[in-house]
Amino acid sequence: MHIADFSRKLLQNSLACLKETFFPVRIHWLAAMVLTVVFMVPHIGFPGLSPGSEIRIADSKGDWGYPNPFRHYPRGPGYVRMSWVFDTLVWKDKNRYVPALADTWSYDPDTKAFSFTLNPRAKWHDGRPVTAQDVAFTISYFKQHPYRWISTHALDRAEAKDEHTVVIYLSMPYAPFLSDIGGTMPVLPQHIWETVTDPLVFDDPSAFIGSGPYLFKDFNKTQGTYLFEAFPDYYQGVPKKERLVYVRSGKPMMSLITGQVDLANIRPDMAEHLQKKGLTIIENEHGWNKKIMINHKKAPFTDPVFRRALAYAINRQEIIDKAHRGFATAASHGLLSIDHDMYNPDTPPYSWNPQKAKQMIASLGWAKGQDGFFHKHGQVLEIELIASNLTVAGERVADRDGEIIKKQLTDIGIRVHLRNQEQTTTDSRVKNWDFDLAISGHGGIAGDPRILSEMISPVYGAGSVNSARFDDSPELNRLLEAQMAEMDPDRRKQIVFKIQKLYAHQMPAISLYYPHTMAAFNQDRDITWFYTKGGISKGIPIPQNKISLIR
Amino acid sequence: MHIWKKWLTPVLVYLSAALVMAYASFRLPTLLPGDFVTAMYAGSDVTLNAEQEASLRSFYQDTQGFPEYLHNLATLDWGYSHAFMAPVSQLFLQALPWTLLLMGTAHVLSTLLGFFLGVEAAWRRGSLMEKAGVGMMTVLEGIPEICSGVLLLLVFALSLGWFPAAGAQMAYADHTTGQWLVDVALHLTLPLATLILAYLPGNFLLARAGMVMVLESFFVVTARAKGLPPRRVRYAHAARNALLPLVTRFGLRFAFMITGALVVETIFSYPGLGTLLFNAIAMRDLPLVQGIVLFSAIMVLVANLGMEYVYTLLDPRVGHAS
Repeated sequence: MHIADFSRKLLQNSLACLKETFFPVRIHWLAAMVLTVVFMVPHIGFPGLSPGSEIRIADSKGDWGYPNPFRHYPRGPGYVRMSWVFDTLVWKDKNRYVPALADTWSYDPDTKAFSFTLNPRAKWHDGRPVTAQDVAFTISYFKQHPYRWISTHALDRAEAKDEHTVVIYLSMPYAPFLSDIGGTMPVLPQHIWETVTDPLVFDDPSAFIGSGPYLFKDFNKTQGTYLFEAFPDYYQGVPKKERLVYVRSGKPMMSLITGQVDLANIRPDMAEHLQKKGLTIIENEHGWNKKIMINHKKAPFTDPVFRRALAYAINRQEIIDKAHRGFATAASHGLLSIDHDMYNPDTPPYSWNPQKAKQMIASLGWAKGQDGFFHKHGQVLEIELIASNLTVAGERVADRDGEIIKKQLTDIGIRVHLRNQEQTTTDSRVKNWDFDLAISGHGGIAGDPRILSEMISPVYGAGSVNSARFDDSPELNRLLEAQMAEMDPDRRKQIVFKIQKLYAHQMPAISLYYPHTMAAFNQDRDITWFYTKGGISKGIPIPQNKISLIR
Repeated sequence: MHIWKKWLTPVLVYLSAALVMAYASFRLPTLLPGDFVTAMYAGSDVTLNAEQEASLRSFYQDTQGFPEYLHNLATLDWGYSHAFMAPVSQLFLQALPWTLLLMGTAHVLSTLLGFFLGVEAAWRRGSLMEKAGVGMMTVLEGIPEICSGVLLLLVFALSLGWFPAAGAQMAYADHTTGQWLVDVALHLTLPLATLILAYLPGNFLLARAGMVMVLESFFVVTARAKGLPPRRVRYAHAARNALLPLVTRFGLRFAFMITGALVVETIFSYPGLGTLLFNAIAMRDLPLVQGIVLFSAIMVLVANLGMEYVYTLLDPRVGHAS
């Protein structure tokens, strides 16, 4: 039967069938109803679409806890939501520290004390003035009830010298002070928190009274949405937009193009298309690294030669090209970002060299067997590699690296069992040293170099599953301690240079690459979003800096 | 005695099944590797010393035994979510209406439409219309939700811009009730269409197959011979007897309503119990996982119980079977 005949017959049959079935209903009535609905839908549009006085930001996960220090999830997006409500002493604009609650600050090395002069116009959301006493109270409160995002171990005490001057005395020199305390610690109103004995369960509306540019209005746990409203008495001027809304969207490109949101994180391959649609694209520096965690407490990984051999065996450019279509950059083996002011360009690169990797493994007594794998004492060299889908800058990213690394290690003679596991399971196994190799990653590497101490030393990074918790090198331990206490930036830089070189030599974990992170925003809203150098606060690689809505 | 036996036995059977399910929902989530403190505080920005970590772990340690868990359930205390810092029942009741709206509507519509189209197709067996219908439905049956959902998004949200791409409503919009209803309906359309496309073909094919067999029965021939109108023969005589497999399917699907929506909820960022359960598992929020798993298990029981009743209504022979 000819295709046209077939179609005609099918249409006739369909009409006849409809006629028979809906006999009492006239067929043209039905057609009219369908047409009306079809033509109505585009004209109905989306009622109440965002007016010019608000900003909508997309987030794929949605919930990041309530925006106060004790109830936000201890991850970047949770902190950023809190940062709209609670101000810190200082803040960062695109490149440097700028005044926030404190107008000026200085450090006195003799007394090991930071002195801050507060902005006299600063007010709490309930109208009371922000005072030096509030800052002193915040420090003593966090010493008693730890805020998981900062460490107060180096703080001795804080004293309010007058209404607007507070001096914070350190118990030891603490180089990351400005980054981790001055620019990260949210200041709490004493008149509210002084009576709160269990901050974890304190959920009164007054728990969200801060001194930031926005008032917290709502968090819908089911929808994953947040509503903030501008604080008209904000000491740095009325915020540019009346309302700030977070919505959950797993398809940022569609939400941006359809105008449902004004700002979203995007995958690099979407950038070109979105640019053509008139959206502005911004790209972050290299502030997040994917790395391989090594169980250096278990043979054969206890030997640094074996760990370095692994680094030679892995072709990072192949991973970048095949798994990321080129949207990544090979990382420094010294952990600190190549964009960091203290990055040491002399860090050994361990360029891909499978022959050298084989020789190094052979030098440890392993010999190639008939099956193509290394053997020693009758046992084949086999390892387990765990791969997981990771959260990068708040977005879930599927793992495609495991298969490639498995092949590369197999090629040099290591039998690899690849296990794809869910992130929490992997984290738990790494934490309990129940693994061989695990693909992991973290940010903060373009921020304060204290990240080196936290991600290498067991003293600082015990809580993080990304920390190598490596203490086999007394010299490395000494340098990691020294850089935390060195208040002179130039002398600190020299120590940090040495740490990177020694870390790359010891290789307790292997840094792989920096994925390119991008965001897109709607320029029509008259807000220019940007990535902060070194990340927001301690190093959050998200372009939602509150400065964009203030100045 | 006979009446007692008739009612008591199923009640006892269902109660013991409920008890087993309550135990499974209590015990199974605790076997997940990892715990809430690892999931929540493992990030590189967290500064916890060993002592603080131990104190957090003991704070979130679940020490209650099964009898205590049962007692709490009986007093409607479903526990407190670690991650959301809110009662599990509150979180559950906030998510449930959206799941019911999306999944309930999809089930009911796809069952009714599948039944109706299946009956009509079987009645016209051998016609071009029926052949095209069966062919199309077989193809649709093979297309997964993730594929049809993304295609619908591309066409109707991205290209035509008729429907929103994510969410269940425009968050914090100043809507009147009428505008809000339109807004919810617009947000519902694409996820609902995806689910109907996924569920309808199975219902259609099942209804058609059942109907084809019934149409060959003598009582249908008798009904036709009596000169009854075709629609009465189709629906009152034949279709009622072809309905049982469809009811079974409806019940089974309904029981898996919570987990079944996860793919569509994820594609369209639609709120609901599937997303809540998924996030709760990722964060090892055990009280929340236990609550949702238990409710899901109870739904299986209720759906079974409901089906037994509906079977008796539809086909009195089922009632006489015992």
